[in-house]
Amino acid sequence: MIARDRNWLLIFAVCVALAIVYPLFADGYKLTVIRDALIFGLFAASLDFFWGRTGILCFGHAAFFGIGGYIMALITLNDAIPFGSLLGIAGAVTGAAFVAAIIGYFLFFGGIRGSYFTIVTLAMGVICQQAAVSWSSVTGGDSGLIGIPPIAFDLGGLHVDLSQDLPSYIFVAAIAAVVVLALWSISRGRWGMVLTAIQDNEVRAAALGHNAPLRLLVTFVLSAAIAGLAGALYVCMAGLVAPDLSGLLLSTEVIVWVAVGGRGTLLGPVLGAIFIQRAQQTISSFNPSLWPLLLGCVFVVIVFVLPDGILSIYARVKSLFKGRRRAR
Amino acid sequence: MSDVLLKAENVGIRFGGLQALEALNLTVHDKELCCIIGPNGAGKSTFLNVLTGTLRPTSGSVRFLGHDIAGLPLHRIARLGIARKFQIPSIFPSLSVEDNLKVARWGVPSPVRPVGELMELVALTDRAATLAGELAHGQKQWLEIGMALAIEPRLLLLDEPTAGMTPQETLATAEMLLRLKGEFSIVAVEHDIRFVRALNCETLVLHQGRRLRSGPFHEIETDEMVRDVYLGRR
Amino acid sequence: MDFAVTTLLNALTLISILMLVGLGLAISFGLMNVTNLAHGEFVTVGAFAVYFVQSMGGSFWLGLAAAPIAGAVVGCILEFAIIRHLYSRPVSTVLATWGVSLILQQGLELAFGLGAKPVTPPVEGTFDLIFTVYPAYRLILIGIAMVTLLGVILLISRTSFGLDIRTVIQNREMAEGVGINTRRTYAIAFTFGAAIAGLAGGLVAPLAIVLPQMGVNYLANAFFVVIVGGVGSIGGLVAGSVFVGGLTSVLNYQISPSLAQAIVLLAAIVAVRLRPNGLFNGASR
Repeated sequence: MIARDRNWLLIFAVCVALAIVYPLFADGYKLTVIRDALIFGLFAASLDFFWGRTGILCFGHAAFFGIGGYIMALITLNDAIPFGSLLGIAGAVTGAAFVAAIIGYFLFFGGIRGSYFTIVTLAMGVICQQAAVSWSSVTGGDSGLIGIPPIAFDLGGLHVDLSQDLPSYIFVAAIAAVVVLALWSISRGRWGMVLTAIQDNEVRAAALGHNAPLRLLVTFVLSAAIAGLAGALYVCMAGLVAPDLSGLLLSTEVIVWVAVGGRGTLLGPVLGAIFIQRAQQTISSFNPSLWPLLLGCVFVVIVFVLPDGILSIYARVKSLFKGRRRAR
Repeated sequence: MSDVLLKAENVGIRFGGLQALEALNLTVHDKELCCIIGPNGAGKSTFLNVLTGTLRPTSGSVRFLGHDIAGLPLHRIARLGIARKFQIPSIFPSLSVEDNLKVARWGVPSPVRPVGELMELVALTDRAATLAGELAHGQKQWLEIGMALAIEPRLLLLDEPTAGMTPQETLATAEMLLRLKGEFSIVAVEHDIRFVRALNCETLVLHQGRRLRSGPFHEIETDEMVRDVYLGRR
Repeated sequence: MDFAVTTLLNALTLISILMLVGLGLAISFGLMNVTNLAHGEFVTVGAFAVYFVQSMGGSFWLGLAAAPIAGAVVGCILEFAIIRHLYSRPVSTVLATWGVSLILQQGLELAFGLGAKPVTPPVEGTFDLIFTVYPAYRLILIGIAMVTLLGVILLISRTSFGLDIRTVIQNREMAEGVGINTRRTYAIAFTFGAAIAGLAGGLVAPLAIVLPQMGVNYLANAFFVVIVGGVGSIGGLVAGSVFVGGLTSVLNYQISPSLAQAIVLLAAIVAVRLRPNGLFNGASR
């Protein structure tokens, strides 16, 4: 096992250990705060899985989060549908994946990459938010839908009821851990290596027999499906769904979480999501319009000062020391 | 004539008002080695693009094992058994040498040669863990040949495989190809005469998009006309 | 009959605006390969310029003259402070310009306060066009847009600066070789595109809801124009604008605006799949 993989697993294990002991020290409110942050962390990991591995930036990832959220809300709010929670999650994941499959098919097989892809996904996000506002007979318009019940289901004798703080925290943390671990093993294995190759030189990869557009499409669809899952979890925890869950601001924020946490690390974006939301809550309590202003500054700072994310500070310091030692 | 692998008949290409290629014929038999030479701008790379199906000829036809491959997606062409080495070394710079070859093998359903053998063939065994982007220029060229071998081609097309190489590297490359001769067909586009001389195979000379001469290299080399337009200048 | 003419004129209004906003994007995105997500804010700044001048007691026409200047100033600063340092880093450009876009939006909100800003058109009333009666200001808007576009075409095809731009676009290295200052040419072209977008913002101000966040819709649509139309020619710009603007106006009559937007997005994606080089550029791969 190479050192980089070992380090990643070590950090992952520390995070899991922290997540396990956290409930011993935290009250119910703090638990829910971390729980919600973890959902956004899962969302950030989904974006990183695509952006980090393909180098193609999706600027409307919140669209998938929102689609998942609305589908979950519509299914669980409808009393006629049995097994609401399970069906809702399944529907949310499928719905987000379906939209990604359609858009991705036309773009990837049409040879659209890079900035063009970014722009089209940006437009997709704008339109999703508009649709959520104006299709009010279904989506509840500006005010959204409220009263979404907590997740509850029976599966093979296992009774799950997430109306309490602790069970919902455990459920979310477990899902986040499993998904992040799964995405990591996919991206370090054969699939991820071929994606890196495609990012390096798509023509070469294709001339070796790799169906590059298909591989990009599948990665994008998987990424969107997880974003949809995160959206479904979120609306059940929050109890409501609103248009800004699919909006441009959330799409922007998730990019910042990934960029600050470190693109391509999967774990960094989760941590980025947790810490930045913490900062956001503090700052917004002074003045709500200060946050977007600061967010804009963060973007500019990242690009010029920290192109590889917060975690790269550690690597830079390390190489600085190494350089000094060598100089001696 | 059951062993014909690739047959180009009467191929012509016209870009707007420019006749880039005119009435070119080429037949490549199974396990045959041949070269296409000519001065810069003779249409060698264009012809190679036609042979690999990336460019559709405006007249004539190219058939690989009887199929028309023009306009097929690149990965389908690769899976039919056509491997290609590009003119500019075209590798995956952020992967190691070993991983480059692994990715290449995964491109086809049932690769035969293990990665270790491929590295040996292209003399890169001791650079296995090096990032491909950090290799010397000649080694990048070899790595790309190794990647092309990994997909178990029936036909290997090389676009100036020795471009930018030292004379020693050029000869080593020729030896490498001669060792592979007999396993599959090879078509090399070159303008380095030392290299073609070392291969000493069937050669097609292009000049201004047309066939000037064709035949075994030792005959070509002594041909007055070829000397005039091409060899004599060097 | 009057219905058809009205729809046609509505489409023409939208197409005119899209052409002006898209022109700057065609320069930066299409030709310089710079993805500027703050392009929508040039429109916003132009609209706010008109509002500001009017609120200070100035006339609409004075505001309309200020609009391109405001766009140019913002564009020039953006190019100088950010974009020129990132020509080789496309994703960084996307992130940084988006950051600037957020800063500008919030900056305008802090400076001018929440809520929509009223802008009054210079002429009220309608104009009788025999077939239909149409708001006079919209006709003026279409006229100004057409004249501007014509001016740009003349500028690019007839002046030495236009020749510089065309040379730099065709081959940057060669342009440097023959002594053209490509950095300066890029900077001027970018600023020029920003000015035109600012003018578009000023023109649209009396018709639109003037908000700090208004730019993003123009941004998305203008990108569609450039993507669908293909880059590199005025013809592509016109084709893209007619496609996006025409489809939006026709659909707007039948269905809700956001559904119309979604359909335009899908149509744009399909068009790109079928003709990757743009509607106007003949060769389809």
